[in-house]
Amino acid sequence: MDALVSFSNQFFKPILSLGGPPVMFIVLTLLALIMKVKFTRALEGGIKLAIALTGMGTVIGILTGAFAPALQGFVKSTGIQLSITDVGWAPLATITWGSAYTLYFLMLLVILNIVMLAMNKTNTLDVDIFDVWHLSVVGLLVMYYSNDNLFLASFLVLFIGVLKFINSDLMKPTFNELVNMPESNPTTTTHLNFMFNPIAMVFNKIFDVFLPFIDRYDFDAATLNKKIGFWGSKFAIGCYLGVFVGILGQQDIKSIFSLAFTGGVCLELFSFMGSWFIAAVEPLSQGITDFMSKRFAGRQFNIGIDWPFLASRAEIWAAANVLAPIMLIEALFLPGNNVLPLGGIIAMGMTPSLLVVTRGKMMRMIIIGTLMLPVFLLAGTAIAEFATKTALVVGAFPPGLAETQMITHSTLEGPVEKFIAIAVGKFGGNMTIENAIKMVTSLVVYLGLFIWYAKEMKKRNVELAAKKQH
Amino acid sequence: MINVLAACGAGVNSSHQIKSAIEEEMSNRGYQVQADAVMIKDITEELISKYDIFTPISTPDVGFKINIPIVEAGPILYRIPAMSRPVFDNLEEAIKGLNK
Repeated sequence: MDALVSFSNQFFKPILSLGGPPVMFIVLTLLALIMKVKFTRALEGGIKLAIALTGMGTVIGILTGAFAPALQGFVKSTGIQLSITDVGWAPLATITWGSAYTLYFLMLLVILNIVMLAMNKTNTLDVDIFDVWHLSVVGLLVMYYSNDNLFLASFLVLFIGVLKFINSDLMKPTFNELVNMPESNPTTTTHLNFMFNPIAMVFNKIFDVFLPFIDRYDFDAATLNKKIGFWGSKFAIGCYLGVFVGILGQQDIKSIFSLAFTGGVCLELFSFMGSWFIAAVEPLSQGITDFMSKRFAGRQFNIGIDWPFLASRAEIWAAANVLAPIMLIEALFLPGNNVLPLGGIIAMGMTPSLLVVTRGKMMRMIIIGTLMLPVFLLAGTAIAEFATKTALVVGAFPPGLAETQMITHSTLEGPVEKFIAIAVGKFGGNMTIENAIKMVTSLVVYLGLFIWYAKEMKKRNVELAAKKQH
Repeated sequence: MINVLAACGAGVNSSHQIKSAIEEEMSNRGYQVQADAVMIKDITEELISKYDIFTPISTPDVGFKINIPIVEAGPILYRIPAMSRPVFDNLEEAIKGLNK
């Protein structure tokens, strides 16, 4: 096994040493060519990823540069240590796609999908190639803490990968119910969002047994969203959080305005630039889909896409809107938290899972969300060092800032998986009995909870099928 | 020019795939189509009134009545031509129905 690890390291190290944007420009262009994309389009994709990486770096520089003095003032005047800048999901996704290891983890997961389909262990064909970045973060975290132990990283990615495919099948009947899909509609998802379901299910069970009356206080989600209007949009969030930081950081009026508008600009630009590199990954996604669907021609399966087919349910947004100010208050008082929510304050990394588990019960979503957001904030804090260093390596972070500033995503999907990745990575970095026990315990608890959750979902699926018969 | 609105979770991934696929296929079929991609939660009555056709993944509950034709475009995301063709056919019907 050591030989395999050292071979992989020898193979990947020289590629990585070239640095982020140029490497990914070359790699993605070549990959698209292998996928038989026209040369000009392949080149277009490669350039788009490179400029997205470069652009993210520039805007992260603007945002952290503007917020750093105010956040330091904030720490001074309040004594609350919230110094990590929350840039939201788009920069994290771009940074992850800027690492060549993401392509390696993608290859592992494609092979896993083919094997599981062939063995009838899953019925999901995953075509959501872009979202492989979530598991890649997990793998990269293991590598970061284990001095690049590729074997352990691959193990954890495959382990969670298997559970994700099983989960996608388990959730399919609930998806049909939630968005009124006929049985013939193959839509499902393997998104890491939904690996939070087992924990949400524990709380949901407590509500079932002890607090079922709470559902009487549910309200109409769409009406609430309509009332909130533009206040939930990216530029508005950037603006009023700029004002919030500015006032608590005791800045002058001019600086407060400047912070507000800079915040608005940066949040809009992050997601705008995010769309560039998604276009860059597109030929790869199409190529892999063609390859897989050809292999399984004639077989009926569910197709895994990104989660927003559920975004039509207003509860996802209503819960996220209500939870945003709650998270801000929690961030101020949560011991061990160093993240001030900004780019990730609309908790899309959590509310889709709450929707699936509670099946749209608003009060349950809000209460479980309130109780669980601290886990996301702590995971956001825990990965900040890794996220900042990785951003620096792939050329998406201004070098001068890295000494003093850190970035993260406050509501990144899969918070529990981040802690497990750190436990596995730390074992890889220092193989002591204590670290081994921590790693094995976390994996056993994680798996045990999933097995219980799977049983609950199977019961639910039988009920849903019976309801359909009537 | 036909203006189409696509929407998804972040207005970045799924809706952009739908936007590009629709613009490419409709131009192949000889229509001038311009699509925009937004976050579902940013959709307002005012925003949607500026478009001719709405192409969500599945029809959302936005809290008001949507008065333009809706063509559900989810199957485009499967990236399998046989499955996305009916979406483009429906969209073509909707475009013809506009009499623009």
